[in-house]
Amino acid sequence: MLDKYAANPGDRDNLPESARDAEENRCALGGAEAMQGMPNNPDCADASLPAEPGETLITLSCRINGQPVTAEVPPSRRLLTVLREEFGLTGTKRSCELGRCGACMVLIDGRPVNSCLTMAYQCEGAGITTIEGLSGGGLHPVQQAFLEEGGFQCGYCTPGMVISVVALLSENPKPAPEEVEEALSGNLCRCTGYGGIMRAVNKAIEKGVG
Amino acid sequence: MLLSRESSGGRWRTRPDGMEKVTGTLQYLTDMSAEGMLTGRVLRSHQAHARILALRTEKAAAVPGVHAVITHEDVPGLNGFGIALPHQPVFCEDRVRHTGDAIAAVAADSDEIAEYALSLIEVDYELLPVITDPEEAMKEDSVLLHPEGNLLHHTEYRKGNPADAFAGCAYVAEETYFTPRQMHTYMETEGGLFIPEDNGRLTVYSATQHGLMDRKQLSRILAMPEESIRVVSSPIGGSFGGKDELNVQPYGALLALRTGKPVRLHNSRAESVRAGLKRHPMKIAMKTGCDKDGRLMAHQVRIVSDTGAYATLGTEVLNFATEHVMGPYMIEHMEIEGFCIYTNNGVSGEFRGFGGNQAIFAIEGQIDRLAEAAGIDPWEMRLRNLRRYGDPGPLGQPIVQTHGAMQVWEALAAIPLMAERKNGPGRDARDPWTVTGVGSAIAMHGAGLGYGIPDPAGGRLCLALDGKIEAVFGYEEFGQGLIATMEQMLIEQYGFDAGDLRIIIGDTDVVPDSGSSTASRATSMMWMALRRLHPDFTARLAEAAESASGGVSGLTPGPGGMWKEGKLILSYADLARTLNEPIVCETVFHYPTTPHERVGAHFLYTYSSIAVKVEVNLLTGRVRIVDQYHAVAAGPVANPQGYLGQIEGGSGMAVGFTLTEDALMNAGSYVTKNLDTYIIPTIADMSGIQVEAIEDLPEHDTYGPRGVGEIGSVNLAPAVASAIFQAVGKRVTRLPIEPEFLQETPFIPQKAVNANVG
Repeated sequence: MLDKYAANPGDRDNLPESARDAEENRCALGGAEAMQGMPNNPDCADASLPAEPGETLITLSCRINGQPVTAEVPPSRRLLTVLREEFGLTGTKRSCELGRCGACMVLIDGRPVNSCLTMAYQCEGAGITTIEGLSGGGLHPVQQAFLEEGGFQCGYCTPGMVISVVALLSENPKPAPEEVEEALSGNLCRCTGYGGIMRAVNKAIEKGVG
Repeated sequence: MLLSRESSGGRWRTRPDGMEKVTGTLQYLTDMSAEGMLTGRVLRSHQAHARILALRTEKAAAVPGVHAVITHEDVPGLNGFGIALPHQPVFCEDRVRHTGDAIAAVAADSDEIAEYALSLIEVDYELLPVITDPEEAMKEDSVLLHPEGNLLHHTEYRKGNPADAFAGCAYVAEETYFTPRQMHTYMETEGGLFIPEDNGRLTVYSATQHGLMDRKQLSRILAMPEESIRVVSSPIGGSFGGKDELNVQPYGALLALRTGKPVRLHNSRAESVRAGLKRHPMKIAMKTGCDKDGRLMAHQVRIVSDTGAYATLGTEVLNFATEHVMGPYMIEHMEIEGFCIYTNNGVSGEFRGFGGNQAIFAIEGQIDRLAEAAGIDPWEMRLRNLRRYGDPGPLGQPIVQTHGAMQVWEALAAIPLMAERKNGPGRDARDPWTVTGVGSAIAMHGAGLGYGIPDPAGGRLCLALDGKIEAVFGYEEFGQGLIATMEQMLIEQYGFDAGDLRIIIGDTDVVPDSGSSTASRATSMMWMALRRLHPDFTARLAEAAESASGGVSGLTPGPGGMWKEGKLILSYADLARTLNEPIVCETVFHYPTTPHERVGAHFLYTYSSIAVKVEVNLLTGRVRIVDQYHAVAAGPVANPQGYLGQIEGGSGMAVGFTLTEDALMNAGSYVTKNLDTYIIPTIADMSGIQVEAIEDLPEHDTYGPRGVGEIGSVNLAPAVASAIFQAVGKRVTRLPIEPEFLQETPFIPQKAVNANVG
């Protein structure tokens, strides 16, 4: 199953943890001399491993944006992929895929979670809210604040950022600036320098979103 | 004016693309899918430098679910790309020059199958020496990475007699500055959807900063007429120069044409790091001299720029750096030399600031050192050498004259933070390990592509038959707010209402050639295009309205339709109903250039000064920027929210450039592979930024608002270095600033050691 990762020690950092463990052992046996005929190993885009022939799919039952849903998925498939590919919820963005940037953030039972680090099987019975689910009855006040204050530029980090702010304010409606920084330091934005985001968050706090 | 929502009043507008962005409904090109689409993946070299002896793809092709495996043999046209010099192989044939080089690509039913197939492709390599140091690559006996040698480009600028002038200098500063391999780190990695159409055409949905340039490059590679290719290239999840060059497009296009099916590619972050462009790391050696009063007399510069394995815009970036190493200062004797060198490192290319960031860090460092030597206040030292209205450009060329340099100097001189600087380093008795300092820096930065480089501009306005006013431009929206700025210009210049408008960009089938959305040029070019179109388009509307309204003359466009004497006479929809054909006005022109015949020399410049306050923690060596003030002279503010956002965002990027960002390489492979080790600023790293926009231009100026996409990012680093010097007395020469450099050994352990010895 993991053979395809074996030959290129240089790429170990990109492997899912399980594969990396297996890789450690293989590399110790001397992957480095294999110069000729070396099977290559691309960077790993999707932490979900290919379903082996006959691999059992699980039936994932959960609620997404309030709707009960079921899907047949490999147990190791990430929530990020399930949302984007199975349900077409592309507002949840793919960026670093290792839980650093927050572009894929969703609420699971009200808590902000990186969907790239969440396996499908972990979501059984859960209530998942994506960016699309926030604005069911018109704009969520946090979205409204981002819109008015210009808390976005390219917009790619915005869904995750908005999700984080919603989670923060529902827990702590009047956070201190340090608490805002803490809550949003898992959401990277490359465009704004965070100025517009800070103004949007302050606006949402002022308006009493929580 | 200090820019803010409050100070902007009604000019602070909600972005037209905002609703879709905050609700997550905006479909980026990497969000697209198509019925029956395949997943494409690219096999990249895992050797930094090697000959390819053999390449075997049969096993990969035999995997069920694999639809195509392609290599250099499958490129029907030119097996090369590059905006300026198309020599980067689409697929390497007999040699790889960096670990991002592509060797093969696969299209398969799923990502998993594609990845598995890639693992079955076998490549036999004969390893070649890996050259990672540009100065090694410059040596005569170095292995040649390209037939023409390892020197991509050499620049020179000489003026006066520096050797003699140095002899007469009272003070001379000599220093070598190093800048990092900064990564653009757009949040959306490269990707897109490629659809072979039934009529034989190809549609490319993939981000770029110049759709027509991508179409031209793809046409060469695919051996297809340009007209047979449609490139849809916006909206984009960030670019900063990094997506201007081709990235996944050749692979998506070739795989789609080969399989006859839609193909989607979307780089993982790791692949984006590995194959994507970075900012050119530069080593800049400077020797600068002044007289006893601090007047600069002689300046000698040597720039060595690492372009990595291929050219892309390495030449142009070096030209830009060469033009910016003297800053906004008038120096009589100069000798500047630059070298852009091939290595086996990752490819460097276009990046916000375009070589200015590196150059300005160095020259501003020199001014600070000379000011110290001469015992002159560093801001006063700048004033004594600053260009004045009427002075020629940095290379002696005629430029558009403004008071920008002096305006930003004066603006900064007046702020409280600069008064605080006079107090010297700050210490808090309760926190003895934290020292504060204030520093400042100034910059001028060229816009447009420069003399001798095609830099077309133009656009089209149209009253469509459905009554919409269409603005059609060949620009791209990657977050900077170009659509919002265009909307605001149309409202303010023509009186239209936002609801009257349909703005169309980023689709080569319909847009005219407006040139690239790069080089801080698009704002200027949109403004000029709309100004040029104004007389004709409004006259054509009035003429049609007169005839449609039964002879009412003197109608002018306004919100919703044509107006006269404060009354709406005819809506655009009603006017359009009377037309057989849309009313179309088009303008074609060129970005204004200096008449001075030096390739790349600029004509339009913007100016900026920055003051920062930093806290240096002597225990951790960490620097925190706690206050920032930017004064920017770039003409009228076309869009306050966009302007503020560009300066704040540019500054954020510069904070990373200064303090944390470096895509480290070891023996030609990236060591930093993702955002866990490549550290960009978070919200906790950014403090409040004040932005003062200086809008005044000389009365005769006809160039209007200048773009501000780059100016916010170019002079933060030297301001921080200056502040650190005030705080701790250490001169920074290397970015990003390593904490170790600023850490001080606490005296307590020292005492303890002494006690033990005693």
